[in-house]
Amino acid sequence: MMKTTWIKWSISAVGGLVITGCATYPDQAATRQLAEKMVFEAFEASPAHMKRLEQDKSQQICSKIGDAKPGQEDSAEIVRLARASIRYPASGQLSGDWKAGDRLAHDGAGDRIRNGKTEANKENGALCQNCHALAPGEINVGNVGPPLTGYGKQRGNSEAIVKYTYEKIYNAWVYFPCSNMPRLGATGHLTPEQVTHMVAYLLDPQSPINK
Amino acid sequence: MKILPSPCLVLGAALCLATATTALAQGNDLSVGRKMLMEDNPGELWIDQGKTLFMQKRGPKNVSLEQCDFGFGPGKLEGAAARLPRYFADTDRVEDLESRLLTCMTTLQGFDRKELIKKAISPAASSGSDMEALALYVTSRSNGMKVNVALNHQKEYDMYKAGEYLFYRRSGQTDFGCVQCHGEADKRIRLQDLVHMTSKQGAQEVASTWPAYRGAHYVVRTMQWRLNDCVWQMRLPDLKYATDYSIALTMFLNRQGNDAVMQAPGFKR
Repeated sequence: MMKTTWIKWSISAVGGLVITGCATYPDQAATRQLAEKMVFEAFEASPAHMKRLEQDKSQQICSKIGDAKPGQEDSAEIVRLARASIRYPASGQLSGDWKAGDRLAHDGAGDRIRNGKTEANKENGALCQNCHALAPGEINVGNVGPPLTGYGKQRGNSEAIVKYTYEKIYNAWVYFPCSNMPRLGATGHLTPEQVTHMVAYLLDPQSPINK
Repeated sequence: MKILPSPCLVLGAALCLATATTALAQGNDLSVGRKMLMEDNPGELWIDQGKTLFMQKRGPKNVSLEQCDFGFGPGKLEGAAARLPRYFADTDRVEDLESRLLTCMTTLQGFDRKELIKKAISPAASSGSDMEALALYVTSRSNGMKVNVALNHQKEYDMYKAGEYLFYRRSGQTDFGCVQCHGEADKRIRLQDLVHMTSKQGAQEVASTWPAYRGAHYVVRTMQWRLNDCVWQMRLPDLKYATDYSIALTMFLNRQGNDAVMQAPGFKR
């Protein structure tokens, strides 16, 4: 009796040792493989919606763990891809209607999925208000991104600034690789025409943001 | 005992709004009003409801959940939720609170998993779901104890690392991972404070305050609901209930939040 108990004990002790002795952090490749599998098993969606889970090259580079920043080579690759992504409106006019831009800046809706259905919204909002301070005195604004109050007042609206602003909104990673700012035009969240309205909202002296 | 939460809620919400506006005008944070509300948390009501459901003989097999093992042995609830997620030998999986409840409700009580999941997240302003009440009851039995998520089994290490990876994984048309909103201190989406989850204090807040009473919905919400709402805003598709994706993120955050003192239900706006 004593003996069997002793054997049982030692077996479980050895078993415990084996488990604790071997258990450790998996390597990066194994983690990546496991976690990517989790992503594609975790969502209920049509094939079209499942596509949203796939990362493009830039997103892969910009998903570094912790405070790790992309290296020089990675940054150059992101800038190259971002540059190549930019489309301009058919009209060639990069600054549109600031009033439309004002409305879109305060619209945080569009393209969210609930029960398999994409929300009914005429067009996607530009989401600005969620993260940026806008016109002076506006209280219901976020601070994840820098304030945009007085954006045009500080910069003027030269052709170079208009182009820079258009590209910055269309694909922020041209100028700031891996920044938190969504690549609103490049990912298809906003159309080129919508981006022109955002440019006008930021730069037009009549826009409330510059008052 | 039926408590009528409406008068104090309405008064509380009004106070909260008033305080928030003043606080903002003075350049203070918005937590003052929320703290005032926390002292009178209507979510407490769900604890009793959860306890009743836990003890009741229910399901096709007509048994209670008293034999459910949350890691410390059948029926041992003290401190158990504070150690979740963890590896369970009977399922050979790492499970969080909600996936473990699902396991017990299907294996012990004989409920249909699909049906349970369908009703797990209740509509706003409803009387809540069984899952929400049960999750809160089990968690409340760890109140006052420290979060203590351990990495022992290989699958726990794997789950933790996967969670870390997913926290930083960017995708979709917003290019968002979790860290885009939860990686810095003192950030807000519009007026809503964002928890700084890459700090110890922020992770501790996550690990110790769910399930929570959600003021805007008038119901108790669980971590699974929180994750669902995040991925919705991120423009990702519908997140399924209690998948490894959620368990991994919860594992990562709760482990980071070790040593926080459990205090469920939390109170969220």
